[in-house]
Amino acid sequence: MRRKSILLSLLAIVTTASLILTSACTSTPKVEQILTLNLAAENNTIDPNRASWVSERSVIIQVFDGLLAFDEDLALVPMVAKQIPTVANNGISADGTTYTIELRTDVTWSDGQKVTANDFVFSLKRLFDPDLACEYASFYFNIVGGEAYYSAADKTDAEKAALKDAIGVRAVDNYTLEIRLTDALPTFPQLLALWPSYPIRQDMVDAHGEAWAQPDVNGAMPYYITNGPFILTEWVQQDHYTFIRNEHYWGTKPKLDKIIFKEITDANVALAAYQNNELDQCGVPGGTEQTTMDDPVLSPQIVRFASLTTYAFQFNVTKPPFDNKLLRQALACAIDRDAYITNVRHGVGAVALSWIPPGMPGFDATLGQEWTFDVDKAKELLAQAGYPNGEGLPELKFQIANTGANPTIAAFLQEQLKVNLDIDLTVELMESKAYSALYNAREFTWGFTGWGADYPDPDNWLPQLYMTGAGNNKTGYSNPDFDALATQALKELDNTKRLKMWADAQALVVADQPMIYVFNRETFVLSKSWVKNLVTTGMDGNIAGDTFLRNVYIQK
Amino acid sequence: MAIVSKAQTVPVRPHHSLWGDAFIRLRRNYFAMGGLAFILILALMAIFAPLITPYTFAEQHLDQILESPSWQHPMGTDQLGRDTFARLLYGARTSLMVGIFTQFIVLCIGLPIGAISGYAGGRTDNYIMRFVDVMYAFPDILLIILLRSVLGGSIYMIFLAIGLVAWVNIARLVRGQIMSLKSRDFVSAAKTMGGTGNYITWRHLLPNSLGPVIVSVTFNIPRAIFTEAALSYIGIGVKPPTPSWGAMIQDGFNLIFSKPYMLLFPAIALALLMLAFTFLGDGLRDALDPRLRH
Amino acid sequence: MLRFIVRRTLWLFLVLFVVLLITFVLMHLVPGGPWDREKALAPKVVEALNKRYGLDKPLWEQFVNYIWGVLHGDLGVSYSYSDRTITSILAHGIPKTATLGILAFIFALIVGVPSGVAAALKQNSAIDYSSVLFATIFASVPGFVLGILLMMIFSVVLHWLPTTGWGTFQQLLMPVFCLAALPAAQFARITRASTLEVIRQDYVRTARSKGLPESTIRVRHIFRNSLIPVITVAGPELANLITGSFIIENLFAIPGVGRLFVQGIFARDYTLIMGGILFYAIVIAILNLLVDILYAAIDPRIRYE
Repeated sequence: MRRKSILLSLLAIVTTASLILTSACTSTPKVEQILTLNLAAENNTIDPNRASWVSERSVIIQVFDGLLAFDEDLALVPMVAKQIPTVANNGISADGTTYTIELRTDVTWSDGQKVTANDFVFSLKRLFDPDLACEYASFYFNIVGGEAYYSAADKTDAEKAALKDAIGVRAVDNYTLEIRLTDALPTFPQLLALWPSYPIRQDMVDAHGEAWAQPDVNGAMPYYITNGPFILTEWVQQDHYTFIRNEHYWGTKPKLDKIIFKEITDANVALAAYQNNELDQCGVPGGTEQTTMDDPVLSPQIVRFASLTTYAFQFNVTKPPFDNKLLRQALACAIDRDAYITNVRHGVGAVALSWIPPGMPGFDATLGQEWTFDVDKAKELLAQAGYPNGEGLPELKFQIANTGANPTIAAFLQEQLKVNLDIDLTVELMESKAYSALYNAREFTWGFTGWGADYPDPDNWLPQLYMTGAGNNKTGYSNPDFDALATQALKELDNTKRLKMWADAQALVVADQPMIYVFNRETFVLSKSWVKNLVTTGMDGNIAGDTFLRNVYIQK
Repeated sequence: MAIVSKAQTVPVRPHHSLWGDAFIRLRRNYFAMGGLAFILILALMAIFAPLITPYTFAEQHLDQILESPSWQHPMGTDQLGRDTFARLLYGARTSLMVGIFTQFIVLCIGLPIGAISGYAGGRTDNYIMRFVDVMYAFPDILLIILLRSVLGGSIYMIFLAIGLVAWVNIARLVRGQIMSLKSRDFVSAAKTMGGTGNYITWRHLLPNSLGPVIVSVTFNIPRAIFTEAALSYIGIGVKPPTPSWGAMIQDGFNLIFSKPYMLLFPAIALALLMLAFTFLGDGLRDALDPRLRH
Repeated sequence: MLRFIVRRTLWLFLVLFVVLLITFVLMHLVPGGPWDREKALAPKVVEALNKRYGLDKPLWEQFVNYIWGVLHGDLGVSYSYSDRTITSILAHGIPKTATLGILAFIFALIVGVPSGVAAALKQNSAIDYSSVLFATIFASVPGFVLGILLMMIFSVVLHWLPTTGWGTFQQLLMPVFCLAALPAAQFARITRASTLEVIRQDYVRTARSKGLPESTIRVRHIFRNSLIPVITVAGPELANLITGSFIIENLFAIPGVGRLFVQGIFARDYTLIMGGILFYAIVIAILNLLVDILYAAIDPRIRYE
């Protein structure tokens, strides 16, 4: 009897607890203007200075406005700045090193205070705080004194303060900001549209330290004062974000009352949640694109658009056998990228033959045509490389991170080389961090890595990856002609000349094939029919249309 | 203990008769025999896979991608146009190997350590058991992931990683068995006849404690296969193009909304294998335990 | 008994130290560090980050600092989750993971033990086979497959249950079932085996010959004694369930610790890994101690000195 009663009371407790839980959390019936999306990741930080991941950007751009922004076509538009600084409007000095930016006077923070030049000064100096170690600070090292302050972790507080004061950013008056650069950087305005340069409230940081951008125990965000179209009211970590409309917003107020970002990491589960109307948008698991397109219910809900991302099989050109250009070219001709995109990916994505993706300045559709799929040419090049019919070829190893569709593409590459050139490829599928470490240390032989745009300009695509010794030049590619062109292009203030230089530079790289360009990503998501005015761009993160949620509305 | 006093009345018989009895009892258990038959047939099919299917596990037919089951491809094709049935057969090799080799590693480590600990007793036993405590305090899956990352990509390293984590239970089991057997008459008899420690352990104690070990191994084989499936889900399973049931289930999992059979075939195969080992294990336990005779 | 507990507790500290040491060594043997990305960070940035988190110091010093912190109740800050302290991450996640785990444990016991007893009392009957078969079938499918199948039925087709999340009773049902499937089957099989063994013991026969009512024999002699092996496996099983399952938490998007620990390994979030292992080791130790105490309570033959 006694046992039974314990059991019964246990059951009773469980049931009551559940009843309480249910009644406490019953969601209000879905009112009109609520959009529920899936961020699919837990963020490290949503402090604009410190953020570095796309999912962090997705949150930050809902709640902050910077000096400039990208429009739907990825062209720059002024936001808090009155106009885009140019030499013509005296925003940029003739030598390209001093920026004088006039701010709008009607921009307010979410608590009603005015946004002033000092908020930008504080943010841009804080970006280089050596104790914060902001990950995107290196993008802004052209600002006078930035790098010196950033590297001053071991200095005394007085020295740090002096270095901080020496940073070339100041408020001329409440609504005029001056930024001085060490060298001319024609793409600097693009950096003023990126999140690390967004304004930050000094009083919040001074009073609450790092907690200004963190939720309290209940998940509320009391100190996260922002100046964008939405306000983040809640961040329940590992669970969800809640945004509401910013009633103090200075621009056109958004139509949505509320946005919820969930954190469902499994793509199949997200699809199930979407079909159960718990999400208004979701991606489709890789490989299910065709059936989604064939599905009469789902096919009208498909949203697809090119993403500014290129994937490539990257060689370590510093070590044999891949220091042999002819071998690299032979392999490039042996891979049927069309079959991969058309059959394996069901037409989602586009074959890439060069590095800069379509939809961006610097894209050149004519590049790389000589390295399209051609088995005879591949065999010929292989013979020229010194390996007729693959004889004498050492074991080829290919390293790849075991994430997403990577195992599939590895298996595809392996079979392509086997069928077309009778080469046995050893695939080393690695855990993602282990792969990154190997890749960063340039200990890989042949890897697979993509590159997504931080900002839509060749500046972000070519010098970083192909200049001798550059930070992201992991292939070890080194070409004096390229270096000379790039050094010039980085400083060229005439945009037409600049883009021409980059075009020539890219042609040099493609001819050398330090990477076999494979494909450009295409984002393929489902969006409920009642979600209207979703505008997507090639730089959107995990959420399609995250840059312009301020325009979205619901209509059932 | 009651168990000991009961067992003392059982006359010590030659080994083969213990095993012979067990086999007779096992044969009467249809579920266990069914399980055994399934495992053997599967193993044979895996070994002779090239004779059963015209396809290899790696060959891709890019014009026959994600086809539904047909006469040509009885279980359809996958994302790269590979024959699912062929992959399932070759995958059985991987999965059975994972199950068997991990248990082999487990036995190689756990059996001697448990035997030494149990027989030696005293301080040696104490030290070994404290080490076992430490191993026990690690969460299995985290330790496997760490080891897997340290040891690197090859399939043998999967065996090793799982084996290095799973030996603890066998060690404990063997130690317990040996300690309870040590006090029995036939051991004392061997001792009085001048048998040395090693001789007694290897000739008398280990063989007599093997029953529960075999049962435990039978149960742990499917667990290891399961662990491999979990590792595939986490993204650190076997490398391509080698198929394993875990990797296939993971592939199929991503296609569940569009091609459910891609998940169902390997999942059903794995479930049947699990059931087979479970029934065999239960049957062996009943058969090897003289107290359960009826 | 008290001395036994004290000795075990003292011993626990040593075990925890060794566990932390092994984890620390393994963790740093794993290739790749917290700042390795495919899109490499500038060397200056990596340097600054290492400094910020004390990773520029020699390894032994890092370990000593960590242990010193642990002794003062400071488990450090996470590198990958907003600089949150590990203690706050644990405090945030453990209640959720543990609720899930305990409910799954209770569910597994409620289903597993009675079906095991029933199967044993009617050995080789239809009840026997069907209960074992039923228990084993759910345990024969990997958790993530079972989870997605349940979701397809109850969320996508029937629209009865929400797929994911945390906070309501409905959200608990599917993850609890998925978590409980394997232990329920294990409990059923072990209970069946131990009950079979107990039934044939002398004292049961004696009790019968004394003319005790069958119900008394079943509860007092058979059930009670057949529980001992169940307790042995229940301890570690409960520890497993309480510390969470990456797969189930990831699938059902539950903000628990199981998901965090595994992500911590992949992110090379060293303090999070250490915190996770420490938490697990403590839970295991406490539960093992409880098992030993329960043994003594249930089995009169066992006495601790």
